[in-house]
Amino acid sequence: MRYRLVVLALAAVAAWVLPYGLSLYAIHVVDVAIVFAILAIGMGLVMGIAGQINLAQVAFFGVGAYMTAVLTTHVGMGFWTAAVLSVIGTAVVGLLVGTPALRMQSHYLGIVTLGLAVAFVSWATNSPLAGGASGISGIPAPTLFGLDLSSEYLFYYFELIVFACALAFGMFIVRMPLGRRMRAMRDDALAAGAVGAEVRSLRMAAFALASVYGGLAGVLYAGLIRYVAPETFSIANMFLLLAMVIIGGRHSLVGCVVGALGLSLLREALVDVSTYAQLAYGAVVALTVVFAPNGLAGLPGRVRSAWGRRRPDKAAVLGDFQPYEPASPDVVGGPDRDDWILDVRGVGKRFRGLIALQDVSFQVRAGEIRGIVGPNGSGKTTLFNVISGLYKPSSGQVIFAGKPATGRPPHQLAHAGMARTFQNLRLFHLMSVRENVLVGLDRSRIRSIWRYLLWPIGVFRDDREMHRAGDELLARFGLVDFAPAAPRSLPYGTQRRVEIARAMAGRPRLLLLDEPAAGLNGEEVRQLGEIVRSIRASGVTVIIIEHNMGLVMSMCERITVLASGSVIAEGTPAEVSRTPEVIEAYLGDAEVNDNFSAEDELPPATVLDATP
Amino acid sequence: MQVFFQTIVGGLSIGAIYALVAMGFSLVYRTMGLVNFAHGNVVMIGAYVASTFYMTTQLPFAVSMVIAIVVTGLIGVVIEWVLRPLENRDFDLMLIGTIGFGIVLEALATIIWGATGRAVPSPVPAEPLNLLGIRVRTYNLVVLGIAAVAMILLMLFLQRTKRGSAMQAVAMDYEAATAVGIHVGRSNAIAFAIGAGLAALAGGLVGPLLYVSPAMGGTLGIKGFAAAILGGFGSIPGAIVGGLAIGLLDGFAAGQFQGYSEVVVFLVFTALIMIRPTGIFGERTVNRA
Repeated sequence: MRYRLVVLALAAVAAWVLPYGLSLYAIHVVDVAIVFAILAIGMGLVMGIAGQINLAQVAFFGVGAYMTAVLTTHVGMGFWTAAVLSVIGTAVVGLLVGTPALRMQSHYLGIVTLGLAVAFVSWATNSPLAGGASGISGIPAPTLFGLDLSSEYLFYYFELIVFACALAFGMFIVRMPLGRRMRAMRDDALAAGAVGAEVRSLRMAAFALASVYGGLAGVLYAGLIRYVAPETFSIANMFLLLAMVIIGGRHSLVGCVVGALGLSLLREALVDVSTYAQLAYGAVVALTVVFAPNGLAGLPGRVRSAWGRRRPDKAAVLGDFQPYEPASPDVVGGPDRDDWILDVRGVGKRFRGLIALQDVSFQVRAGEIRGIVGPNGSGKTTLFNVISGLYKPSSGQVIFAGKPATGRPPHQLAHAGMARTFQNLRLFHLMSVRENVLVGLDRSRIRSIWRYLLWPIGVFRDDREMHRAGDELLARFGLVDFAPAAPRSLPYGTQRRVEIARAMAGRPRLLLLDEPAAGLNGEEVRQLGEIVRSIRASGVTVIIIEHNMGLVMSMCERITVLASGSVIAEGTPAEVSRTPEVIEAYLGDAEVNDNFSAEDELPPATVLDATP
Repeated sequence: MQVFFQTIVGGLSIGAIYALVAMGFSLVYRTMGLVNFAHGNVVMIGAYVASTFYMTTQLPFAVSMVIAIVVTGLIGVVIEWVLRPLENRDFDLMLIGTIGFGIVLEALATIIWGATGRAVPSPVPAEPLNLLGIRVRTYNLVVLGIAAVAMILLMLFLQRTKRGSAMQAVAMDYEAATAVGIHVGRSNAIAFAIGAGLAALAGGLVGPLLYVSPAMGGTLGIKGFAAAILGGFGSIPGAIVGGLAIGLLDGFAAGQFQGYSEVVVFLVFTALIMIRPTGIFGERTVNRA
């Protein structure tokens, strides 16, 4: 921490004395580089942090610059009024350009935003309002508190302050709950929704942020150059900006800034051989994505891990699970109580021709541990996806805690008290174990986003509170030693436990576990049973899909058996294991195997009940 | 009426070019999950190579095309080889990597052929053909004819030949394809060669239609990509329909809105893709969150 403060102070002093050693031309180059750095922060936020492939960032830059130009020259506004309106206007454009992100992602979003960027350049080149190909000149020089900012040296200091604020605000967002939810959404949008992140709103927030940074850069550019023309906002410059962010390291805002400053200055140094420079940075981009996907910002981490491998510190151990405080009996409920927490009524789900679920009905009492078993492909996970809001059922409805859950998005259900794990582990793999749990703890909503701008102290306090609760949770699940680790570096069984901890972080009333014992060894399965029983004892209802019959039979009060998308049996473990349909579903069709009668030759209990 | 039909023929012929570009995108994408954003720039290189040989060494148009196909094929192999570690893993990074290759190709073209670009003469007589009272550019019909033959041959290859079926199988599940004895590597190489060949064909054909310049790759690539998405990414019939649709949209927008045609094309495209993100024929292979 102290080391960082020293570096920061040195950087500030260096930035402050820099102009004294620079010629008029050099300070101009630096001024332009800072504009690109601000633009790159916005790009890093939307692409590196929120995972939205936005190739219209240079158009946001253009909208900001052109709006300032039009408002000052055509409308005759003062520079600062125009500047504020331009940033607001760019944010509106950003939200519009971001709407496709609600429906598509990845390369689809890339091509749509790139197309819109092309459309913007085309508009600017043709519109009389924008001055056509020759652009708009004669933007008045801004003055601030009587200082004439037409001096590029003074403008440098003004820019420096804006840049420092922009970077600090960006880094604040990245480290606080909002940025954490955005990173979670980037790593796995489905899982982020399931732990309560409002994925759609977060995507829009990311575009809004990116466009505000773009607009800010545009305003500064207009004030600095006092002339705008279409070629500044061309696709070639969009790709240059992309190169800055990729080479610098898209997951780190400081990396983005380093990339932007470095490439801007290099471009200026190589201006005589610009085509070869273009060749070189294109090649570096192609090689970066393959060999150093985290860019320059990822290098220190690589060096450190190469260093660390040589002198291994003490091995991290998975601690014991500390059981929850059992809740009082009237909260816990149990199999003999009559209030349903989950009521599935005649749910059907079809994917085009395929019927995955057909008229599935069952009810789960509060405080129960319910097992759902069935052969592979019988629709168990589809059922979970319907209950947790990932799929909309084709027919029927789901009632959760007395309220209809059908058609509500996953994050709303998460806020209402539902949590789940996934069959194929969906941890946020670029975030640490601690951050994974913190995302689960995070109950803040997008509507309180204003606090980031107006009441950052409150955000900071909330975050500290979350960290405290997170550490408590990590200790309970015995994960303290793994808190800073990347999930993928952990043993499989530990990853499973992290996922359960993340689900429990939201203090759910209903926990859905999808094959939590898959891939666990005997001891880990025993620990899992202990964890699930303790979770139930604390008053949480648990529904568990599992193939490990020993675990299911020993732990669940009631079992629902699915086969080919329908419920074929329900009851206590003993009842279910005697049902002929269940035996048939597990052993095959009775008519085919008519040589032996299942009931005579193989007592069902020994088939299904593997408990010792 | 005359103008209307001329716009249709003009739109269809540039649409056929987009369709060839989109087919290249889709074919490569479905077999190896590579989103090749540099495809438009490969087309540009194809256009330059074909026109260089056709114009300076007086080789027949067809021979120039073959040389162009070989050159673009080699470029395709290099791109695929460098980005192989990302295939079927990280689409976003791969997309950015191919953008990097696009930048390289554009710079290379500028170094070799200069930044200004060139007009390529039409290999067929310039005077318009009179078709049922409608006068159309002869070369437009040539483009439509060649593109149609190429599309039919590709469809027949994919559906009727053993190697084509093998490629379809690889597209659906490459692990299962390996298990039944299909040489996935060879199948991918063939897909890439065909993709590059389509790029060169599109480049060679587009030369006399548009002005050939290092920057043309960007526009062709974006519109070809848009065509592929509009038709349904990964679907060959989708690529054809999407390409023709974008071409027609282009033609009519240019007639109606002149300079603003690009604005209109991309706004309409955005609106259409918002309504139906999976495209007309639905997306093939891979899922999206």
